[in-house]
Amino acid sequence: MEGKIIVVTSGKGGVGKTTATSSIGAALALEGNRVAIVDMDIGLRNLDVVMGLENRIVFNIVDVVQDRCKVEQAAIRDRRIENLFLIPASQSDNKDVLTTAGVERVARQLRSKFDFIIMDSPAGIERGFENSVVAADEALVVCTPDVSAVRDADRVIGLLYAKSLNPKLIVNRIEPARVVRGEMLSHEDVLEVLSIDLVGLVPMDEKVLISSNTGTPLVLQNDSKAGMAFRQIARRLNGEEELPIEMPVYKTSMWHKISKTFGLKQ
Amino acid sequence: MLSGLFKRFTTRKNSRDDAKKRLQFSLIYDKLEVNDTTLTDLQQDIVDVISKYFEIDTDSLELKVKRDDNVSALVFNTPILHVKRKKA
Repeated sequence: MEGKIIVVTSGKGGVGKTTATSSIGAALALEGNRVAIVDMDIGLRNLDVVMGLENRIVFNIVDVVQDRCKVEQAAIRDRRIENLFLIPASQSDNKDVLTTAGVERVARQLRSKFDFIIMDSPAGIERGFENSVVAADEALVVCTPDVSAVRDADRVIGLLYAKSLNPKLIVNRIEPARVVRGEMLSHEDVLEVLSIDLVGLVPMDEKVLISSNTGTPLVLQNDSKAGMAFRQIARRLNGEEELPIEMPVYKTSMWHKISKTFGLKQ
Repeated sequence: MLSGLFKRFTTRKNSRDDAKKRLQFSLIYDKLEVNDTTLTDLQQDIVDVISKYFEIDTDSLELKVKRDDNVSALVFNTPILHVKRKKA
């Protein structure tokens, strides 16, 4: 058994990388895979709180890379989702403590123990980013429909291409109503600008904040639109590549339909 | 509702289109940005090639990336001192 390492990255911070990582990881585990989520944001760990596992940390990824413990000792098992594990980041170290050689060595161990290893890259394109992508087999780029996130995504996509990775895009926090009003880039706009393959569209969803407040997996909430979108993405990564990508739709009101008929709205 | 209706008739500027145009433009320009090491390396390579055929004044040469609205060009300027004789 040889697992697959997927890095989740974005360049810009605050676009939903951590939410995407934890949700896709959880969803892949729900599909029956053995999954390890690795928080590579050394010094600024967050996946543990988002996943509600912050009270159970003993060892972290720096301990594993520096051979102070085994992979099994650092991997925290999620009690709600079977076969889901988190290897947290270290909170006290500087992000330069890890080397690409060290990460590659641990990556080999991880591949032999898990079906999927999801690496949550820190924001930026420095050392932490390098460490997160060095062992990756696949890359996901998360971006929101705003100019700064798209521009940073473009830069990161270029860097990933240079490493012979062929990244796929997740457009996060889409607000269809605002797209219709001409206030927000549509996913088509983003794709046209970035010219890269799409793996999923995630609508803006208030449930994301609520689930992180309580540390419960978003993908277990059937009424969460974002959670459902992440589950679809996980299925695509799990081999169902042909699964159609759902477009977030704006439920049109009666008034909207009337004005559309008269050519007042596009 | 009436004011909303009125707005539809007046030509309203669409910020979504603005965003897209500005992005497309800035991404092209981002890619044209060449860093200093690349320029220095390039300059050395050009000098090496030209020196095979001409003796040039290496102190007064310049290499620049020129950008206009539509085109970008690489400009290499060097005084030629002598034409070297090709060895048989």
